[in-house]
Amino acid sequence: MFDEVVTILENRKVNAEYYKLIFSSKPLSQNVLPGQFLNIQIDGHENLLLRRPFSYYRVQGNRIEILYEILGRGTQVLAEKRKGHTLKALGPLGKPFTQKLKGKKRVLVAGGVGVPPLVFLAEQVQDKTKPLLLIGCKSKKEVLPKAELRKARAEVRYATNDGSYGKKGFVTALLEELIEREDPKSLFIQTCGPNAMMEAVMKMADEFGMEGEASIDERMACGVGACLGCVVETKDGFKTSCVEGPVFSFSELV
Amino acid sequence: MTTKIDLTTKIGNLVFKNPATVASGTFGSKDEYIRYVDYEKLGAIVTKTVTPKLRKGNPMPRIYETPSGMLNAIGLQNKGIDDFIENKIPYFSTILHGGSANLCGGRKIKTHLIVNIAGESIEDFVMLAKKLDREDGVSALELNISCPNVKKGLEFCAKPDLTYDVVKAVKDATKLPIFTKLSPEARDFLGVAEAAIKAGSNALSLINTIRGMAVDIEKCRPQLANVFGGLSGPAIRPIALRYLHEVKREFDIPVMAMGGIMTAQDALEFLITGAHLIAVGTANFVNPKATMEILEGIEDYMKRKSYTSIDKIRGSLKTKQADEKYIPAG
Repeated sequence: MFDEVVTILENRKVNAEYYKLIFSSKPLSQNVLPGQFLNIQIDGHENLLLRRPFSYYRVQGNRIEILYEILGRGTQVLAEKRKGHTLKALGPLGKPFTQKLKGKKRVLVAGGVGVPPLVFLAEQVQDKTKPLLLIGCKSKKEVLPKAELRKARAEVRYATNDGSYGKKGFVTALLEELIEREDPKSLFIQTCGPNAMMEAVMKMADEFGMEGEASIDERMACGVGACLGCVVETKDGFKTSCVEGPVFSFSELV
Repeated sequence: MTTKIDLTTKIGNLVFKNPATVASGTFGSKDEYIRYVDYEKLGAIVTKTVTPKLRKGNPMPRIYETPSGMLNAIGLQNKGIDDFIENKIPYFSTILHGGSANLCGGRKIKTHLIVNIAGESIEDFVMLAKKLDREDGVSALELNISCPNVKKGLEFCAKPDLTYDVVKAVKDATKLPIFTKLSPEARDFLGVAEAAIKAGSNALSLINTIRGMAVDIEKCRPQLANVFGGLSGPAIRPIALRYLHEVKREFDIPVMAMGGIMTAQDALEFLITGAHLIAVGTANFVNPKATMEILEGIEDYMKRKSYTSIDKIRGSLKTKQADEKYIPAG
């Protein structure tokens, strides 16, 4: 783990939902696995005190890409940063998604801030069966540009709330369709996104006997397991999402 | 010519190699920061609060960022004293070589382990003190009688006689030096401080967090599941400094000061006001190397001022008596 000052190479709006941040760092790009994150100090000023956790979206050589939404004060300030501005980033942090699956078909269920780490995972995996990447968003305006999904080794399907792109409804509707076609027990779900979405996915997983894991996003301060602010309720009690997570298996979670 | 800078700070028989330590609850209870901080370079390490039994802690969400600060309502999550003695102390004993601050046969000075404890009754505090008294690796105890996030957390600093009773009982139960950690929530702050000193507290720790609240306007709910949380960070620094000054004006007692110390400049404000030790808290979450950078900054300041000993800084605050008259006490 390294705490590095990085210089922004690019920081621009990608679509109605996402901004893309690019910087370069050798230490922060070594041995990174999808599902891991960086705890970024956006501003040195005391007013914006805490760091913010961001999933890795893409790593190529020393080049690191982050895809983010404006969700609060921190990301608002981040969106105003320009090329040449610096940030302080601590990472790589956290437990990644399972990379190698034994025979099961990988189904990635993503929404909102959960899209970037799962696209990263879809680009990295080398499964025999092509994984499925199911993405949910509000409307066509939030759908990622094709170029962003070009490297994903997965079949990508979208669900939009208003039906303006892909299937109309929540992303779980795509999962329901899939279960009708394929044996749920042959699937392995990896999900990241809004809590309501992940809860719905885990409920289906429980009902149909699907294994899987979820990346849980809690408010975080230190990122190193000290403050106990980001804990997640598991069968073995509270666990830190920064060190013991953010990826937890469905069977661990309460 | 380079002059050697002496940062050694003494509290009773305890010799600290420098005044830099960490605030309880912000540095974990074991090796959370070992990748970023050379533990031996700290004057002392203060653990997260240890309680008699396992405490699950409060429900989520537990933290929320506020302007220049954060609210937390962790609720003293820890595995209890027996787990601490079995699994945590041996770790510190290994890396810190017994926590001994003596010059062990000419070897360099190691650091101190100060264990922060909290209970719901005097008996709890006494039991914890007795158990830790037997442990070689422990240098001192910090009595947390000011946690705002648990039931009865603030009870023992609500009234001076309650403070006196708990500190006296612990004092009678252990030979370990005692730091009593106080909260500005105590209505009779100076009375409580005086009671702790009279009962035999070797030092005071000032200040614990101050209760605050924030609201999610979309859900019309408090931002914390516990509703209230302790406010820490730069937002409370001026308040912490004020309490330190009030205590130092009234009593001759060493103080471990904490409250929003982020930089060497902040630490120096507390040292000048009279603190023996400065504890870095919330800053650890923002900058894991904060303690090390603060120590370097203190040395740079001393070089610039041509001070060779930290004693020159401590309590060097200049106030005119005429000005002081107008500062209301308590």
